[in-house]
Amino acid sequence: MDLQDLRKLEHKRRVRYGYMWALFCAVLWGLWYLPGTVVWVLNPFDEMYGEIAAGSGDSMALIITAVLITAFNALTVILALMVWNGVLGKFGEMKRTLKQFKPCSKWFFLASIFGGPVAILGSFIAMGFVGGAFAAVAALMYPVVGSILASQWYGEKISKRAATGIFFIIIGGFVIFGGGLLSELGTGNVPWIGYMGGLMAAVGWGIEGAIAGKGLDVAEPDVGLTLRFLGENIIWWIIAVPLLAIAGFPMVKYALLAFEPLTMMVLIFAGITFGFCYVTWYKSFPLIGVGRGQGIGNLYGLFAVVFIILFFGDIPSWTLLLGGAFCLAGSFTMFSEDTSGLESLRGE
Amino acid sequence: MAGNLPIKFRMLELFSDEQPHWNYEIVQKIQKEYNLTGDFYRDSINFDLIELASGGMLKGIESKVDDEGIYKKGFLLHKYAITDFGKVRASNVCLVYV
Repeated sequence: MDLQDLRKLEHKRRVRYGYMWALFCAVLWGLWYLPGTVVWVLNPFDEMYGEIAAGSGDSMALIITAVLITAFNALTVILALMVWNGVLGKFGEMKRTLKQFKPCSKWFFLASIFGGPVAILGSFIAMGFVGGAFAAVAALMYPVVGSILASQWYGEKISKRAATGIFFIIIGGFVIFGGGLLSELGTGNVPWIGYMGGLMAAVGWGIEGAIAGKGLDVAEPDVGLTLRFLGENIIWWIIAVPLLAIAGFPMVKYALLAFEPLTMMVLIFAGITFGFCYVTWYKSFPLIGVGRGQGIGNLYGLFAVVFIILFFGDIPSWTLLLGGAFCLAGSFTMFSEDTSGLESLRGE
Repeated sequence: MAGNLPIKFRMLELFSDEQPHWNYEIVQKIQKEYNLTGDFYRDSINFDLIELASGGMLKGIESKVDDEGIYKKGFLLHKYAITDFGKVRASNVCLVYV
């Protein structure tokens, strides 16, 4: 083998690593839906929902409970990430990166605003006011926002082929959630705030990816991600939860009740899956770009439905097979792309 | 001497002399400056270089097979140089550009 072949091989391997990370992200994100679904029926969140619903209505109860669940999710995620960074010996690098607030860490704090209160809360609002299927479909649009921003803002290359792949994966998601989507929208009067939530999810995660891509130019993915969750914890625990408590919602009471073994176990499972889904997401960006990383990450829709079927024993409908076929077609379109033009992900 | 800058900042700084450098030179230098010994850190620092190149801040200009085992026997060695985009990013992070 000569030098050129070796170089090509090494380059191919880099791209393959990037796709592998993105695929892991999709699997873990799909897995997260198990604890993410179960936690709602566990106490104290179940009781909390009931109490707020009695006073302020179901939709409000859903959002307020979502804030507390998301806050706990962020807390267990950062615990998982601390262990991860400790194992990798990256605390030193974390301190160095944190100190460079202006050139570097500010991007990760900004990413946490878009990923946390905008995207996750938006997703819950869409779920509460329209329905779960609508929320899932709306979130599927985020790679479109992410790849357009990354290409306009810092010239990330996005080939026609990659765009086609992303498009197919989105279509697949639409088909998977299509039935539920139609019945949710068919009920007639959907409040505008539900659509707003859907928009927040797509735009929030898209912007988060593009901003993170910018910060990752000059930072380590593992470290950058931990700073992003540090930001999210500050937002929920120092700002949102106290504000809601002052507004009269029973935040503190139920937060203290969350320390039961079963609830904690489910929350820790949620933290591990969500945390490592983000680790792999951020690791894929420098290797294959924000657009491709998010496109493959979108397979979470398929994985979520598959895992829910496996674990809860729901009966799969034919739309899952058809949608899954679209997702696979889209992924292969991207995996099989000739990557020799991707030596650098940015245009000259 | 322990480094104070995040590793990727320091790498851009090392490249801002506009001279090409071999990856093993940079990796060894960083390992020494930051007191990160061992193969695990060597590979993870080299990965930072790969990410910088893939992000378009460095470009590979020459490669050779490591026959003598200066770095990792049988693997490719890469010589990188900073790109214009890399210079922009370096000045964004407030490195004094020489």
